[in-house]
Amino acid sequence: MPSWTWRSLPADIGALRLGVGRVADLRPSIVRTCVRMIVCVLLPRFELAVAAGGLQSLVGRAVAIAPDGSAPAGRAGIGEVSGAAQALGLRPGMALGEALTRCPELELVAGDPIAVTAAWERALQALEGIGAAVESQRPGLACFEAAGLRGLYGGSEELVIGAARRALGTPARLGGAPTRFCALAAALTTRPRRTTIVREAARDHLRNLPVSMLRSRSSTAPLVQMLERLGIATLGELAAMPRAALTDRFGAAGAEAHRLASGEDDPPTPRRPVELLAESLELHESASGPALEHALGILIDRLLARPERRGRTLRGATLTARLVDAHGRGTGGGSWRVPITFRESTADPQRIRLALIPRLTLLPAPALALGLAADRLGPPEGNQQALLPEAIELRRDRLHEAVRQARVAAGPNAALRVVGVDTASRIPERRMMLAPFES
Amino acid sequence: MSPKPKDSGLSATRRLGDPRTADVRVDGDGTPVEIDGQPVAHIRESWLIEDRWWTDQPLRRRYWELVSQSGRDIVVFRDLLGGSWSRHR
Repeated sequence: MPSWTWRSLPADIGALRLGVGRVADLRPSIVRTCVRMIVCVLLPRFELAVAAGGLQSLVGRAVAIAPDGSAPAGRAGIGEVSGAAQALGLRPGMALGEALTRCPELELVAGDPIAVTAAWERALQALEGIGAAVESQRPGLACFEAAGLRGLYGGSEELVIGAARRALGTPARLGGAPTRFCALAAALTTRPRRTTIVREAARDHLRNLPVSMLRSRSSTAPLVQMLERLGIATLGELAAMPRAALTDRFGAAGAEAHRLASGEDDPPTPRRPVELLAESLELHESASGPALEHALGILIDRLLARPERRGRTLRGATLTARLVDAHGRGTGGGSWRVPITFRESTADPQRIRLALIPRLTLLPAPALALGLAADRLGPPEGNQQALLPEAIELRRDRLHEAVRQARVAAGPNAALRVVGVDTASRIPERRMMLAPFES
Repeated sequence: MSPKPKDSGLSATRRLGDPRTADVRVDGDGTPVEIDGQPVAHIRESWLIEDRWWTDQPLRRRYWELVSQSGRDIVVFRDLLGGSWSRHR
């Protein structure tokens, strides 16, 4: 939302001194609109670059991140792909068999989520170091609002972006635009080490871009193929359609796609400062089974004993492991990372142990090191239930949290609701539908 | 299987009460007398649906809402174009 500012403040103050009854004098002679400027920071192929040891090692090679082994056999998809692999028609998510058929010389590297998380955290902290309130959308993609930083870095967006680039210290694509979506479009279309700043309206800038840009949002990505089949090639064509018609055809995703194409978007949501409580344990020999369970018990005890916890409970944790490679060596095997949200905040080591141990069976290979980090901290132990009935808002929050936890544990379809579509229909299957539960 | 949630797309939305194939025995008038081995005790209602006749996939069904001898409410229909029997519950 644009905000209005008085441009000639001293004149206003002078008018105020004239006394009561001169309200008309309070209006400045000139007002202007402050246009929001969102800066998008894009580190292309971030996860692949970290796993492969740097962007330089990807030059001229068809490389992709190997499937993580969690998908069923035959449906395992590759991760990020290098530029050379992309030129051969490979794309992230493609089935491994199809990728190898298209590109027999494809090299697969094991994903390294631990290193990716650490490297991305360093990048975010570097951006926060210049004063930016950063929203992290995924590893390699972040954005922040430039408005509050102009005064610190000389008064222009270019200088703010220059400061961000220096802070990152690594080749990045940066774009500035009035909305997050448009800023990402600017960053995607700019050359490496260059900056594109969109001064025009977001809708005008997006007009000629392909609808495939909508793949950058998980909510609108499923629409791209359908829109292309319907002959809607550009975001301008999409924006020219009635929003009601898109909503009628595609539901909330259609409305969201129209908003984005029309240059509307939500402002960034900066991440909250978090206290990082983490423990890790090097295992002298590659371990699995009971040895890992024992190591996990030690990590839980260490984590709960950390003084920074100050008696607070754990709401979620992330279990990590560094893996041996296929030849039993300690390098090149990548790493493994799984977040767990507890059913309720707890500091009971037995309950945490019961929640975490089943996850160890998901390890794709023996581990050389095991790590445990507290994602979020809950209220202190001994928190009692209220005696009087709780407010509706509290119950709604709890329901929202329960739905979120259920979805983390069992996928997005874990919480659905029955919606009456045409309850009086004489054709029974038209009466009710299952739809995602929106708490 | 990883606990990582899958991408939420449009797949979560689906119809409830999609029909499934039923084994139906009828009397001389074509009225159901046994559904999946359950004898019919009472016929509550019957109606005819003709829909989408203006498309390539028209829908013509004769519905019966029945009560089985075990007391269960069952809705069955006969596809008047294909001749197959299906039930909703």
